[in-house]
Amino acid sequence: MTKAKASQLIALGEHLVSKGLSLGADEVEVSILEGTEFSVDVRMGQIETLLEAGSRGLSLRVIKDQKTAHASSSDLDRTQLEYLIRNAVRRAELASRDECAGLPQLEKKHIESSSLLLYDPEIPLLDPKDKIALALETERIGLSDKRITNSHGATLETRAMRTFLINSSGFRRDYEETFCSLGLGLQAGDTDNKVEGSWSSAKRHFSSLETPEKIASTCIERTVRQLHPKKIRTQIAPVIFEPPMTSWLMGFLCLCVSGTAIYQRASFLADKLGKKVAGEEIFVSDDGLMPGMLGTAPFDSEGVPSQKTEIIEGGILKNYLCNTYAAKKLKVRATGNADGSGIGPHNLYLHKGTDSPDTIISTLDKGLILIRTIGYGLNPINGDISRGAFGLWVEKGEIIYPVSEITISGNLGQILRAIEMIGNDLEFRSPIAGPTIKISGLTLAGA
Amino acid sequence: MNPLSYEDHFYLKDSDLRKILDMALSRGGDFAEIFLEHRTFSLINMEEDIIKDTSESISLGLGIRVNSGEKTGYAYTNDIAIEKINRASLTAASIAAGGPAQRSLPLSSAPLPHNYYQVIDPAHKSSLQDKISLVRRTYEAAYSFDPKIKKVKASLVDYIQNVRIINSEGLDRTDGRPLIKLVCLAVAEHANKREGGYCGGGGRVGLEYFRDVLTPEEIGQGAAEESLHLLEAVLPPAGEMPVVLAPGHSGVLIHEAVGHLLEADFNRKKTSIFWDKMGTRVGRPSLTIYDDPTLQGFRGSYNMDDEGTTPQKTPLIVNGKLVGLLQDRLSSRLMGLPVTGHGRRQDYTCIPIPRMSNTFIDKGEYDPGEIIKSVNKGFYALKYQGGQVEDSGKFTFSVSSGFLIEDGHLTSPVKQATLIGTNIDILKKIVKVGADLQFGFQTGTCGKEGQAVPVTDGCPTLKIAQMTVGGQT
Repeated sequence: MTKAKASQLIALGEHLVSKGLSLGADEVEVSILEGTEFSVDVRMGQIETLLEAGSRGLSLRVIKDQKTAHASSSDLDRTQLEYLIRNAVRRAELASRDECAGLPQLEKKHIESSSLLLYDPEIPLLDPKDKIALALETERIGLSDKRITNSHGATLETRAMRTFLINSSGFRRDYEETFCSLGLGLQAGDTDNKVEGSWSSAKRHFSSLETPEKIASTCIERTVRQLHPKKIRTQIAPVIFEPPMTSWLMGFLCLCVSGTAIYQRASFLADKLGKKVAGEEIFVSDDGLMPGMLGTAPFDSEGVPSQKTEIIEGGILKNYLCNTYAAKKLKVRATGNADGSGIGPHNLYLHKGTDSPDTIISTLDKGLILIRTIGYGLNPINGDISRGAFGLWVEKGEIIYPVSEITISGNLGQILRAIEMIGNDLEFRSPIAGPTIKISGLTLAGA
Repeated sequence: MNPLSYEDHFYLKDSDLRKILDMALSRGGDFAEIFLEHRTFSLINMEEDIIKDTSESISLGLGIRVNSGEKTGYAYTNDIAIEKINRASLTAASIAAGGPAQRSLPLSSAPLPHNYYQVIDPAHKSSLQDKISLVRRTYEAAYSFDPKIKKVKASLVDYIQNVRIINSEGLDRTDGRPLIKLVCLAVAEHANKREGGYCGGGGRVGLEYFRDVLTPEEIGQGAAEESLHLLEAVLPPAGEMPVVLAPGHSGVLIHEAVGHLLEADFNRKKTSIFWDKMGTRVGRPSLTIYDDPTLQGFRGSYNMDDEGTTPQKTPLIVNGKLVGLLQDRLSSRLMGLPVTGHGRRQDYTCIPIPRMSNTFIDKGEYDPGEIIKSVNKGFYALKYQGGQVEDSGKFTFSVSSGFLIEDGHLTSPVKQATLIGTNIDILKKIVKVGADLQFGFQTGTCGKEGQAVPVTDGCPTLKIAQMTVGGQT
């Protein structure tokens, strides 16, 4: 983005802040997002869809007499925006007084976004032809394996964006960031015995994306290993979570430690701060400052600086993730996790242990390696989990056959206490991550 | 806000639009389309006894699509400057390999043949006070229902989505789609147990719906009742057993297990398990399934789809035989089958793809009471959190509440079960179809390839001979 364009958007934000104040608001916050995106879907060696776009959006919050109203628009016409902010001030008057409403105080602490390695200057300069070629190559390798019978295609995406945040407390900052991803989906088996798998790599820097060979071979392996599944009988058995499944479990934990869910009493972890909620070897953190990671940012959507927050330390629940509002509600400090009007993680992860995944599998006398789940079946209110599952059945430390059409059920509170082994294979493939883990027992429903 | 005409928002005359279409075809594409959208959206949230927040959003933008054979080029912009639109047009055009430029046909606009929206008192023109009052009534109905109700959240969201679609074949159509939903979540606590209940309603209707069809009080009480019901509930038994699906909400099974895999794109690409089964028998003769975008006031209905096609009630399975697919323009052209009006998109940033609207199993002949009586030991599924299917036909859906069936009677309440199966297998196991067709909440949203669209689904009471239920051993 040109300097002139950036200063134009900052000027627009400042104009709206002063407009809101002059209309009677006590506090005003304006955020503007501008970005470009490119994506190509290829399938069976052909381009299926090519998308290229530039877009922008503005959202604002006004607070008057401790009453809040929000508005947003993709139309940046000044008249339109002035209409919206006028309406927002009027709507705020109709809302109820809420003593926790308000913007965060301006903090002196400032994180230089360049130190966080969020932006790859190569991404906006990439030639679409090269990006298309990369997607085609990934799918070609995937289809070259004789066991693969159909393809969902490969997708390459790149995005570059700039976020501006301006508010009436004097906050005025912006940062640029980039994302790219390359993914593949495959099927194996004939029509009535299909299995499917997918694999992708997502990064901020183009040069760190996994190669087409790596993505395709992983995808092939993850697809064909599910061929000719069996059902198992209903039982309680130890279960090993592969890293993507641990990430999924941590994603559920993230919902349950969101300050919003806590003050709404919509989480089983309400009232549990300082209490033991997991085994002693369990450490879970959220870190917004890890350079180059997907969930890293200098500040959150309210301008609170990012930080590292310990969520579970040695099994003790240490902190909830909070925006300014939830923090006031719960009488704690905001953790820099505001995400629009909600709360979101930065890089949330289960700390790694010392065992290799192979060692963990070798300890399994009879049990399941969980490789995929589908469906909903997560209830933060009580921690209950119930999902459709795919896995590999293990006996005496050896994988003997794939398993499908089963469900796993359990409870997050119980699972956190039943983690017996933690792998050394932590990788940040998504903003929420975790290594291989072994759970002492879960209910598997089958035949 | 005064509804402005498209010209006011986009400053584009018909002659400008023709120029943009011609530019989109300048590299030899065989079809070009412009999708213009202006949407205003409003939200009111109440929790902890106060109107916590209100929100208003405006979304304005246009998407340009070019097809060249099986390929699609797409570009969108919400910066409505003509040079940005031209750039988007050339970007989309580049999907074609550079054949001779094509020309678009003159635009011919005509009103849509039907109006499936039932609006007397449009939400987007109503006062904020009136809408706040609906939210308060919902909240209070839930909160005052029982002292065990500890937290309530009620919210009202509504939008009006104005769409204009023009294409290189001369199509020029507009649609103004209203949508509203009022929902309530109640949390009950008792004896160290905590459970949530949900209820809601709405559709492509006006505020009169909450007076004439479903009142805020009924929504609030519905959520409270479910949370109290779940406090008493036990976890389900695990294993294979006969399952009876309650009418209405159980439509999610049809949506997941059948609907998605009859979307034409999955069959054209042969990734769906159904692709080679058209015309064959997949269920018993009592099984008939439709997708119908023309149901009056329903959340999944529309006067035209997002490609400007007039929608049709589409039979998918008739008397057990697979007869139809949900088509968009691209798949119908490539497969040589007629369009059905199921090309939908989330908004101007997305390409249209085949989607469901209102999907249901048609009513059968059994008395619902008789169906329950026919089960000695089994599970009755009442309400759901959602479901998911993959192209292989494996699906799951999450039951938030239900009952045990013992000796032909509903007994203990049950919570948090998962039903899992493979669609071709389950379709054959639907052994009894009730005479009591109902639809689930008018609040559902379906996701596919990252695009969310409003849908509903429905069914009568169904008996499935044998199904895997996930629960406790």
